Amino acid sequence: MLETLQNLALGFSVALQPPILFYAFAGCVIGTLVGVLPGVGPLAGISLLLPATFGLDATRAIVLLAGIYYGAMYGGSTTSILMRIPGEAASVMTCIDGYAMARKGRAGAALAIAAVGSFVAGTVSVVALMLLAPPLASFALRLGPPENFALLLLGLLVLAYMSGGSMLKSLAMAALGLLLGMVGIDPMSGYFRFAYGVVELGDGIGVVPLAVGLFGLAEVLASAGQPTPPRVQKPKLRELLPSRQEWRNSMAPIGRGTVLGFLIGIVPGSAHIISSFVSYAVERRLSRHPEEFGHGAVAGVAGPESANNSATSGAFVPMLALGVPSGPIPAVMLAALMVHGVSPGPLLIQQQPALFWGFIASMYVGNVMLLMLNLPMVGLFVNVLRIPYGLLYPAIIVFCVVGVYAVNGSVVDVWIAVIMGVLGWLLRKLDFETAPIVLGAILAPLLEMSLRQSLAMSDGHYAIFVTRPIAAVLLAVGAALLLLGLRAWIVRGLDWRGRLALAEKGDAP
Amino acid sequence: MSRFRIALALAAGLLGMAGPALAQDVYPSRPITMVVPFPPGGVADLTARPVAAAMERTLKQPVGVVNKTGAAGAVGMQFAATSKPDGYTLLLALSSISIIPEADKLFGRPPAYTVDQLTPIALISADPTVLVVRTESPWKTAKDFIEDGRQRPGQISYSSSGIYGTLHMAMELLSHAAGIKLRHVPHAGAGPALTALLGGHVDALASGPAVVLPHIKAGKLRALAGWGESRVAALPDVPTFKELGYPDAEFYIWAGVFAPRGTPEPVLARLREALRTAVADPEFKGAMDKIETPIAFKQGDDFARFFAADAKRLAEGVRKVGKIDEKKP
Repeated sequence: MLETLQNLALGFSVALQPPILFYAFAGCVIGTLVGVLPGVGPLAGISLLLPATFGLDATRAIVLLAGIYYGAMYGGSTTSILMRIPGEAASVMTCIDGYAMARKGRAGAALAIAAVGSFVAGTVSVVALMLLAPPLASFALRLGPPENFALLLLGLLVLAYMSGGSMLKSLAMAALGLLLGMVGIDPMSGYFRFAYGVVELGDGIGVVPLAVGLFGLAEVLASAGQPTPPRVQKPKLRELLPSRQEWRNSMAPIGRGTVLGFLIGIVPGSAHIISSFVSYAVERRLSRHPEEFGHGAVAGVAGPESANNSATSGAFVPMLALGVPSGPIPAVMLAALMVHGVSPGPLLIQQQPALFWGFIASMYVGNVMLLMLNLPMVGLFVNVLRIPYGLLYPAIIVFCVVGVYAVNGSVVDVWIAVIMGVLGWLLRKLDFETAPIVLGAILAPLLEMSLRQSLAMSDGHYAIFVTRPIAAVLLAVGAALLLLGLRAWIVRGLDWRGRLALAEKGDAP
Repeated sequence: MSRFRIALALAAGLLGMAGPALAQDVYPSRPITMVVPFPPGGVADLTARPVAAAMERTLKQPVGVVNKTGAAGAVGMQFAATSKPDGYTLLLALSSISIIPEADKLFGRPPAYTVDQLTPIALISADPTVLVVRTESPWKTAKDFIEDGRQRPGQISYSSSGIYGTLHMAMELLSHAAGIKLRHVPHAGAGPALTALLGGHVDALASGPAVVLPHIKAGKLRALAGWGESRVAALPDVPTFKELGYPDAEFYIWAGVFAPRGTPEPVLARLREALRTAVADPEFKGAMDKIETPIAFKQGDDFARFFAADAKRLAEGVRKVGKIDEKKP
């Protein structure tokens, strides 16, 4: 413990040097912008900025890039709440309840809760990263394809808790999402599936054009189709802050989101986006008022926003402790270290203590900066809602198209977003929720990859899922959840979902 | 803005457009784009950026690196192959450039591009892969590994960066040279493939030396042999497969610069010269040192011969692997 404190003191002596502070701040500002711009997520932001860091020293480069990564998680919630456009893929869940809150005039509260939740999650997870990195990293490495598959299967069960209305409809949407996730090169045989000669479809349908289309563009189309334009909001200053009740309702979700996000973050190869989906489902399951979800439940903002922030710190665990990437973003950051002649590996912490502890300390500092950056901005951002829709909507469409194009410089992606926008509009007209499509499309390739990798490892024997203890436990938990769900369905006939559907029918004019 | 100013701005704009047309005889008269078909931070990207920076100093024109990723590089390579052959669009490609058209042929689909749509200009680096296993594995030498592979066909597993990817091909060339059968578990990139080996989910991996060196130094991994013509400088005690009697197991992750076919010869000459100067640039050498990638400069006939031999080996490799699902009934 004493040693940790000494190391942390070393870290802060590095992190508080003015140049490092400057780069941490620059990273946070860029990250917030990257998060706010629809489409451009942390991966695109970091990739675009990587070459610019070649001239810096290793510590400054890594502090800057990490700032972009966790800064984007703060910024991602802004457009989700105000305009129902996910600023980056991990904010898809925030679109649902965050935007519903904004429609009720609680945009300021939602933004503030998202910022505070992100801060708590960011800070707590850095503590965990600092204390637990080496032991957790060796454990994380033992999670291979079979464990990943079991985990993703649990993620699939989450789908059932995602939507308010009809279970059948949300499962149909999830199935559509899973089907969309089938597009692309078969990872095991190299076949192009459903690509129809379009080479760009080799990597499948991107999450960014999918989410921006289904949420952002569809929202604009749906609003434009209304006979009377939606009322322009005039948020008042005193309404900017969350109420006492809202604070109370967000405390537990923030705590659970933090733990959940960190744990999902450390698993190599898992999608960190899933942390926000799982958190949303957990909150809904535990909530005493599940019917509020989808209509502006503050827990539906607090949980996922905390989870996605905490997952970023989790992702650094295998990267810093062992020098192996847990996902595409840590992979780019490892490259940034290599360019500076720092070999990322198991000896990094011993050989480069100033770099490691400076990095940790800069994350504490960065999270404080982001909170100070984002809370005052709430008042500013909320003013976006004052813009008349005739001006706001064209601007949203421009941002969506530019953002989607910027990620890969691909016109095919823009077309995907447009097609998904029309599809999303159509589905909303028919009362289908679109979030399960996004989750399905994210899960499908991962689920397929881990299943087929597992079977390649075992030469085709399904026993691999039972003989590996962690995988077996995860699958047992999944089976138990499924049975519990079925029991409630059969025995009580109607659970809250059914009641909700009935209530909604009653409400309908 | 006054009318005069608008007129002035317009005139300036027109002049700007006319500029390149007037100066067309001197190449390069405007910025050059170097297409990298892989994401930032990968071997290709980390090689392309210092090359571009060094070329800029000689050509006195900006050389911008553009990452055009997708479909294991096919998207970017197709883009470069079908670009205007004027020397303003170049391609930095890796060994996989000759694998993708072969795989397309195998599946009978229209190829995204063909190798003869591109003219090789210069080879920048060539890094042989090395065979690594975990330190606690029973194999102390490559001989142990191959013997065991013979006795237990299809039991020893290895990870790769992806189906028909570079790391997959390296291992397949070894399997065929040594007459053994290994179990392939593809991963989504070289990073995850290494993670799988370290986590004990597979038994072996063919990898570029730079990424596994820290793990070898930390005592986590052991290098058994290399695919190069000579030993890897950083691993002087590790033999090559050639020394061990498997000359067909030769494989490099190389990076080279290409131009679309039909690029005029004077432009190519200028580019060859610029690249020759670039690789001698101390800043470039420093950058390559840091990513621990040895420079292996070849151009003209030398590179053409190397490229042809390499493409032939890989094409044969792809054909030998064949379609994966047709092998198992």
